[in-house]
Amino acid sequence: MSAAAAATDGTYSPAAAAGEKRRERKEELRRHLAEDADWPRADGRSFHDCRPAFMQTGPTTAASGSAYAEFGKTKVIVSVFGPRESKKAMLYSDTGRLNCNVSYTTFATPIRGQGMDNKEYSAMLHKALEGAVMLHTFPKTTVDVFALVLESGGSDLPIIISCASLALADAGIMIYDLVTSVSVSCFGKNIIIDPTSDEEAWQDGSIMVAYMPARKEITQLTLTGEWSDGKITNAVELCMDACSKLCDILRERLKDAASLAE
Amino acid sequence: MVGLSEGEKHFIRGGIAQDLRTDGRRRLQFRAISVETGVIPQANGSARVRLGATEVIATVKAELGKPSILHPDKGKVSIFVDCSPTAAPMFEGRGSEEFSAELCVALQRCLLGGKSGAGAAIDLSSLIVVDGKVCWDLYIDGLVVSSDGNLLDALAAAIKVALSDTGIPKVNVSLSATTDEEPEVNVSDEEFLQFDTSSVPVIVTLTKVGKHYIVDATSEEESQMSSAVSVSVNRHGQIRGLTKRGGAGLDPSVIFDMISVAKHVSRQFISVLDSETLAAEAAE
Repeated sequence: MSAAAAATDGTYSPAAAAGEKRRERKEELRRHLAEDADWPRADGRSFHDCRPAFMQTGPTTAASGSAYAEFGKTKVIVSVFGPRESKKAMLYSDTGRLNCNVSYTTFATPIRGQGMDNKEYSAMLHKALEGAVMLHTFPKTTVDVFALVLESGGSDLPIIISCASLALADAGIMIYDLVTSVSVSCFGKNIIIDPTSDEEAWQDGSIMVAYMPARKEITQLTLTGEWSDGKITNAVELCMDACSKLCDILRERLKDAASLAE
Repeated sequence: MVGLSEGEKHFIRGGIAQDLRTDGRRRLQFRAISVETGVIPQANGSARVRLGATEVIATVKAELGKPSILHPDKGKVSIFVDCSPTAAPMFEGRGSEEFSAELCVALQRCLLGGKSGAGAAIDLSSLIVVDGKVCWDLYIDGLVVSSDGNLLDALAAAIKVALSDTGIPKVNVSLSATTDEEPEVNVSDEEFLQFDTSSVPVIVTLTKVGKHYIVDATSEEESQMSSAVSVSVNRHGQIRGLTKRGGAGLDPSVIFDMISVAKHVSRQFISVLDSETLAAEAAE
């Protein structure tokens, strides 16, 4: 009887204690991110460093053009088909059509099937590329761009946009300029570039810029969260600078592919 | 809407270049706005906004739910937009799905803020009932009833008015001795809490036609646009979201200029919307 009473009186709960500790740890991490002026990121980068980029043309033989991109953990493959005949249901058009589709594999995210929520990526990819593709050069026909995210490690959409413009160039579609895209995240006063998914999960705000460096035109720009005017200008200029450097990498890839073809 | 002839297109662009639009407005002038609140009594909050011939209804429904694992101390807000075929024939069937998704994502970007909750229109911590266990889920639904351009601004204005009309029932919690059990909640029928909507932003869309940009574009003017920038600004002049729409590229300096013009124009728009809201609530 006394033993049973003692067991009932116990108030210790391991699950609650562990939960409390976990929450405290997260709160401390968040305070650390927002207030400290200069901390090394989890993967060792400084605030304005992008992840190492690997890009390759031609991984899909059936497509007119294709490209594969790896930025850290994010892996994306894009195929381009066309210009080819539009479906009969579509009306006649003096200019060509650009059709974009972005999808995630079920194993792309830590939790299976989580990537299905990004329905707007297709429309955003379309708007980013629309300003760069010379639609008037293929009237009545359609160019299809299919993007597949093999692994999602943060900053997925900017990588999809850059990879898609490389695939369009590989397909021989006439474009005004390559479109490259970079995003930044905001933590309190700090701006970090090319965030990982862990960093994205805690950001105060984010900006994504899709840019044509040779023409100095922004084709897509989205902003969310808390930004002051000066910070917006700094962040957009930081993105444009990173886009120019990424464009140089893309041009090198295209030159290499052209050399191999000869 | 039937397509425009070349003469009509030229007339619209020429008028905008000379700062005189087809309905007599100047480039940075809004159409007349009218507001009604409490139009859907079953919802916790509702509003109908008419901006010229564009008409939208926004409702807010609150339900008790479980907080997300990542943010156990914050409530949840979801935004949905429905473009009804009654608004325009092009919204029939699946034609409206992509457009609705685009409006929906733009509104989410402007109202929900960053992942950590900074910059959100509503303080999400105020929606918590029991940390980690019970919170309010807000469902914001926008319905497009009539479409004559500038849907995004009208929807954002309607959501702002609907949030100021929203009453959340007060919840009394009796915590059980064992922390693992679900707490017992008692939802009050008489007491209601209201949101502080002073920080809820409005959206101002600047549409580029030719070399100039205009606010509050009609359908005809939108058909002539090369691109547009929608800026979300609150009463304090802080930018909470930004979305570029349309396919053509924009020079960065033009975008920065559009942002400052949007902040300037939004001041008047917010004051007009606030006075209309007060009048509507007084009339209710």
